[in-house]
Amino acid sequence: MTSREEALLTVRDLRVRFPLKAASLFAPKRYLYAVDGVSFSIARGQTLAIVGESGSGKTTTALAVARLIDAYAGSVNLQELDVLGLDREALRAARRRFQFIFQDPYSSLNPRLRAADIVAEPLPPMAADARQRIVDDLFEAVGLRPEQQRLFPHQFSGGQRQRIGIARAMAPQPDLIICDEPVSALDVAVQAQVLNLLRDLQSGRGLTYLFISHDLGVVQHMCDQIAVMYLGKIVEYADRLSLFQNPLHPYTRALLSAVPRVDPTVRGGDRRLLLQGDPPDPANPPRGCRFAARCPVAETRCHQEPPALRTLRNKQQVACHLVTEDAVSPLG
Amino acid sequence: MGAAATLEVRNLRVELTTRDGISPVIDDLSFSLRAGETLALVGESGCGKSMTALAVMGLLPHPVGRIAGGSIFFDGEDLVAASDRRLRDIRGNDISMIFQEPMTSLNPVYTVGEQIAEVLRRHQGLGRRAAWEHAIELLNAVGIPDPAARVDSYPHQMSGGQRQRVMIAIALACKPKILIADEPTTALDVTVQAQIFDLLRNLQRETGTTILLITHDMGAVCELAERMMVMYAGRKVEEGGVDAVIAAPRHPYTKGLIDCVPHMIDNPTAARPPLVEIPGIVPPLRDFGAGRCLFAARCAERVARCAEARPEDVDFGAGHRAACWQAGAA
Ligand SMILES: Nc1ncnc2c1ncn2[C@@H]1O[C@H](COP(=O)(O)OP(=O)(O)OP(=O)(O)O)[C@@H](O)[C@H]1O
Ligand SMILES: Nc1ncnc2c1ncn2[C@@H]1O[C@H](COP(=O)(O)OP(=O)(O)OP(=O)(O)O)[C@@H](O)[C@H]1O
Ligand code: SF4
Ligand SMILES: [Mg+2]
Ligand SMILES: [Mg+2]
Repeated sequence: MTSREEALLTVRDLRVRFPLKAASLFAPKRYLYAVDGVSFSIARGQTLAIVGESGSGKTTTALAVARLIDAYAGSVNLQELDVLGLDREALRAARRRFQFIFQDPYSSLNPRLRAADIVAEPLPPMAADARQRIVDDLFEAVGLRPEQQRLFPHQFSGGQRQRIGIARAMAPQPDLIICDEPVSALDVAVQAQVLNLLRDLQSGRGLTYLFISHDLGVVQHMCDQIAVMYLGKIVEYADRLSLFQNPLHPYTRALLSAVPRVDPTVRGGDRRLLLQGDPPDPANPPRGCRFAARCPVAETRCHQEPPALRTLRNKQQVACHLVTEDAVSPLG
Repeated sequence: MGAAATLEVRNLRVELTTRDGISPVIDDLSFSLRAGETLALVGESGCGKSMTALAVMGLLPHPVGRIAGGSIFFDGEDLVAASDRRLRDIRGNDISMIFQEPMTSLNPVYTVGEQIAEVLRRHQGLGRRAAWEHAIELLNAVGIPDPAARVDSYPHQMSGGQRQRVMIAIALACKPKILIADEPTTALDVTVQAQIFDLLRNLQRETGTTILLITHDMGAVCELAERMMVMYAGRKVEEGGVDAVIAAPRHPYTKGLIDCVPHMIDNPTAARPPLVEIPGIVPPLRDFGAGRCLFAARCAERVARCAEARPEDVDFGAGHRAACWQAGAA
């Protein structure tokens, strides 16, 4: 998607697994492969969205990128920095370069700290007046009033709390902000306020976002590139217009067709590619394509060989045996 | 047309007693639900959607909530005047509800089969054996794969989508005339949500059940409902046919609710203008009931009168109504 030179963040073949409870003391150790060879890159000032159903590994990917959990293989590069290779000390110093905005504005703020101190938390030690100037700036940038700096989290509404979370994430001037479902807990009106704020800040300050959301309308509005995950793997990876105008992978098709349109002339039923059944057990993924059991066009090969993520002639990436090099989907 | 109104709510007033005093969480609400239709009830969090459903069900939070005025006619009978016993009877047999949180409304210590069969025994008077068999049929009807095996599962052994299907199966067990679905798909993946929508739609086609769908999602409204009603701060601000309201909303709040959401479209372009914002938030409960337009503080179209008097309901024809002093101006 982005050539390596201009990429701010480059993730290659990232793998995260969680140990499963063993059936007996002597049984071999088993793992749940939550992130199973994920690669992507983001250029400075851009937004990459990761979408996919619950449990597909979006949050785990984000946590591993920021080294909040351990990957057992792969690499993460933030410009020159080899994130997974850093020792403890170097990691602490690098922490300010990636910040998180979480889904839940209620539990992600320390209830005992005043808003100003929450926002200043990730700042390096500095003189009090310099620190105050930064906090003043940030409060203004996210649309909070100066006198609100003295209030505690419970004295804010959900949207205001999310603004505090955003101000805190911006404080150390990070290179990358990871937004994990940043507006899912908010009411639609407040959601619009926060999404506009995130985009304004991005264009004003050149921020780079890794943006996770299950809401495809929000994603379509926010992203420049988009990666679709299914059971720990990226199945399709493309720029915004290509993905929404020409979705290729059968899962992407199903996902987009399931989104209810706010247009009474295109009611669901007919348009929809219904998925049967549930996703397979992540602890026992199928041998071939992980989507095969639910895929309406699966062939024998799909059940036997896992498809690799290939780059097509139009630069779109897709992991499906049946998509052609000329970007024609098996679903027509 | 003149289909019989199955549910007719008239001038309903529900009061909540809180630390701040007594507030009308439902304030002079009137609407009707026609036999066989789906009516969507939309609005931001805290506008009184669930409270409306609970009032109809006779399940207002005790002792803080009470019906302080108005009537709720179900097939001609006023539920406000009905005894607890009669209400229980109606809840089991005529009106059922899918609650907002499936995990909290299923009992974790019983299998889903036991929970469905229990409803069937109590309300349909089925024997043990028949109830169990019918429970399996219901699980099958709501699309649970391998129902004969899954009937023995506990709620925690099912996915979120499956639990929601079980909730629907329980709600359907008594073949209700009215199904109230409070945010039935909010916590679910879109692919699962689509399955539940289809399930509700097919069900309605086959059984003619009347549905009151509570949601904050305009997409769900367009998918499922023929008519919609928008609530703000305990009041109905607009109602009408879905097509008419979506195409030409009359109330500034409805307009804002539709425009502030980035709706996914099939042919996006490179241009991405900022989202329309509704500034501010829903007023606190203690302000409900004030003699003015409660949306005025957030409204770009307000005039002096908006802060002085509660807007009257204006009829725009074909059942499209809005309560806004400026609605007729456009
Ligand atoms: N700490 C953990 N221990 C064991 N398994 C885990 C852990 N965290 C996540 N998992 C599993 O890893 C898989 C991926 O989870 P993850 O939270 O990344 O999904 P997600 O795509 O973010 O889903 P959601 O949309 O529900 O947030 C799931 O099967 C999940 O159950
Ligand atoms: N048990 C209760 N005691 C006191 N106040 C309550 C209680 N339940 C609800 N309320 C208040 O009544 C108002 C309306 O609540 P209601 O649950 O009807 O909102 P809603 O429209 O369903 O919102 P949501 O979209 O969040 O479900 C809110 O201000 C809420 O805080
Ligand atoms: S009555 Fe006035 S304030 Fe209320 S919505 Fe209409 S124009 Fe806005
Ligand atoms: Mg997650
Ligand atoms: Mg509710």
